[in-house]
Amino acid sequence: MNARLLAISIEQETDIILARQRTRSIAALLGFDSQDQTRITTAVSEIVRNALEYGRGGRIEYGIDGVEPLQALTISVEDQGPGIADPEAVLAGRHQSTTGMGVGIIGARRLMDRFELHSKRGTGTKVTMAKVLPRRSQPVTPAGLKRLVAGIDVQEMADPVAEVRRQNREMLTQLDQLTQRQGELNEVNRELQDTNRGVVALYAELEERADHLRRADQLKSRFLSNMSHEFRTPLNSILSLSRLLLSHSDGTLLPEQHKQVQFIRKSAENLMELVNDLLDLAKVEAGKTVVNPRDFVVEDLFSALRGMLRPLLIGDSVLLLFEDATDVPPMNGDEGKVSQILRNFVSNALKFTERGEVRVWAQYDRDADTVTFKVRDTGIGIAAEDHGRIWEEFSQVEHALQRRVKGTGLGLPLSRRLAELLRGSVAVDSEPGQGSVFSLTLPRRFDPMAAERDTREIWALDAARLPVLIVENNPADSFSLERALSRSRYQPIAVRSIAEAEAALEQLSPAAVILDVLLDGEESWPLLLKLRQSDKWGRLPVIVVSTSEEEGKAYGFGADAVFSKPIDPAVLVRALDEHTGVNSVTRVLVIDDEEISRYLVRQLLPRGAFDIREAATAIAGLESAQAEPPDVILLDLNMAPMDGFELLDRLAATPGPPAIVVTSVSIDDRLRERLSRASSVVSKYDLTTDTLVNAIRQAMDGEATRVS
Amino acid sequence: MDQIPILKIGDCLLVSIQVDMHDRLALQLQDDLTNKIVTSRARGVMIDISALEIVDSFIGRMLNNIAAMSKVLDAVTVVVGMRPAVAITLVELGLALTGVRTALNVDKGLELIRHLIDDEQDPDDRREE
Repeated sequence: MNARLLAISIEQETDIILARQRTRSIAALLGFDSQDQTRITTAVSEIVRNALEYGRGGRIEYGIDGVEPLQALTISVEDQGPGIADPEAVLAGRHQSTTGMGVGIIGARRLMDRFELHSKRGTGTKVTMAKVLPRRSQPVTPAGLKRLVAGIDVQEMADPVAEVRRQNREMLTQLDQLTQRQGELNEVNRELQDTNRGVVALYAELEERADHLRRADQLKSRFLSNMSHEFRTPLNSILSLSRLLLSHSDGTLLPEQHKQVQFIRKSAENLMELVNDLLDLAKVEAGKTVVNPRDFVVEDLFSALRGMLRPLLIGDSVLLLFEDATDVPPMNGDEGKVSQILRNFVSNALKFTERGEVRVWAQYDRDADTVTFKVRDTGIGIAAEDHGRIWEEFSQVEHALQRRVKGTGLGLPLSRRLAELLRGSVAVDSEPGQGSVFSLTLPRRFDPMAAERDTREIWALDAARLPVLIVENNPADSFSLERALSRSRYQPIAVRSIAEAEAALEQLSPAAVILDVLLDGEESWPLLLKLRQSDKWGRLPVIVVSTSEEEGKAYGFGADAVFSKPIDPAVLVRALDEHTGVNSVTRVLVIDDEEISRYLVRQLLPRGAFDIREAATAIAGLESAQAEPPDVILLDLNMAPMDGFELLDRLAATPGPPAIVVTSVSIDDRLRERLSRASSVVSKYDLTTDTLVNAIRQAMDGEATRVS
Repeated sequence: MDQIPILKIGDCLLVSIQVDMHDRLALQLQDDLTNKIVTSRARGVMIDISALEIVDSFIGRMLNNIAAMSKVLDAVTVVVGMRPAVAITLVELGLALTGVRTALNVDKGLELIRHLIDDEQDPDDRREE
């Protein structure tokens, strides 16, 4: 059995006495006779004193080891001192003590039954000694040990000063542990904070990505809507011309030619249909479709649909039935869009139904105050796994009939988008061979506020640019206005209606407003009037885009400038500069002996935002820069007689505008050092509008911070 | 601060160590005692260690030192009342206490001191002792 009885730390002189007392009481409790008690205590006294004197304190531990009947009291004293250089010499008695009588360790060894000394220079000393328990004493059992320890405690209690000291020491130990715990907590806390920072950074990155995606998506939709417009014009020409040819008004066609032109026409019609669908979809996606809510009656809607869809019926094999809808209460919503969705459903149903019927009906749900339109066919049906896919653009389900009937694959996706726009939803219930039921659920009353709220854009402001509000309902015009401002200091914010414009005004505090007079179904004069009458916006520059006849009226209402379409970007930017009082035209001096390079720079820099002067030699450039300092200088390196390096030095001699080196020379470290005066270096191989504009912006920003 | 009282009986100083001495106390006793010998012109010092349960090498050295110092100050030192267990342990420990005279108890100690003081007056006798 090896068991620990007690441990005492030795820090000061009085601890020697404590150790002596403890030793004596433990020895007594273990049944040693008084002589042995004295022996053990004396040995402990010697060793503990050594530990305190040479080892600057340490620790004494009492224990029991060995098995009965040969159990022994073991006492080990450990210190963290410098250690003993030659323990062998000490044990052999060759050591001369300067303090004691030189007998401490040897004497202690003589007093105990077992004595071990472990010591090395620098690692402290450990003395382990043992005294075999007297034969007549009770063997120490675990239970006995417990009693023993309790006995020591009781004795300790008997000495109040020692007890207080012991408790103090315990408290110190606990405080120590607490401090350590606190340190660990701090560590963990710091780690958590680091992690947290990481998460926040990740989150920001995600947000940025999402923003990119959103913008890309917007761009796509805008591109689609613009491109579709462009497609329509040539297609219309093809259609009209082929119609003209087929009418034989310019001479007859041969029968074969007639057939060919018919094919051309048929193809053009298909293409037109595709483009129209695409345009509708893009419009909805770009949020450019405007909902025109009106009161209407479902019964009237059905009769109109009946008339419209009858031509689609071929032969008698399929019946188109509209059920009575007189019990459905009058609705409020965009009847045209509801009709468009239902037309899509019905024409789809007719396409995939070879025989049977297509049935259309409406149900009113009083609790939810919604109306559900259903179109059921007896056609080929759709497998469950395809139910989700049919609502996606350009997806068509593989089927023999599918290949025969033509479609753009855009009808259902468009229907879904329109339904969402009307705050409603679409659904399908179908099984292959069992026919399909397409349904459209709409609120009975369209809530324009709900729609307004949901379609409102979140504008991301660019801190470096001034927001300019563009109020323009025509996507193409809006796009061209935005393009005109894209490289200027103005950030275009496009809205489509007066309501949106008012919201944007509050939200963004734009620097100026560009206002189209004619919006969808409303004129924008009231907005202009309201602006001019308000205290807050009274001085906000407003540029009106209008027809020339209304110029006088526009000025009358308080417009700062009036333009008619199309608008020259440079003129627009200049007008904005003038009225916002911001000088956004950057004067650039290009110094390059190659005419082609100067031409390139001239072409690459957007005209409205940059005023470009040119110099063909360094000397001419220097003169020009001194005569009329530009905002920034672009210079070439290879010039004669004065080259770019010398020019840079001369320019740097007096405070002047930042200089950007535009060169075809590849820059190594040696050159870079010589070019340290230049604000940046742009390679001629990497010459694009972006790199140039960025370099100029950076140079001027750097200049601004240096000056301030 | 603990202090070990030093009593004067005639020309004798009596020190009775009743507490478990720590080392600083022992050194202080050494100082106090030498001072007292000088101020009281004492001729003998008796140290009673009957209450001491142990005498280790430090206390042993202290006893030796006191004896040597008082001898220089013309006083004799007698240690009395050493417990048998302490005596055995001292021997086992290898401490000889060569410069210290001992007596069994205070009575015998006083007797011894008298005797020694008387002897001191005759230096020749001292050598025979």
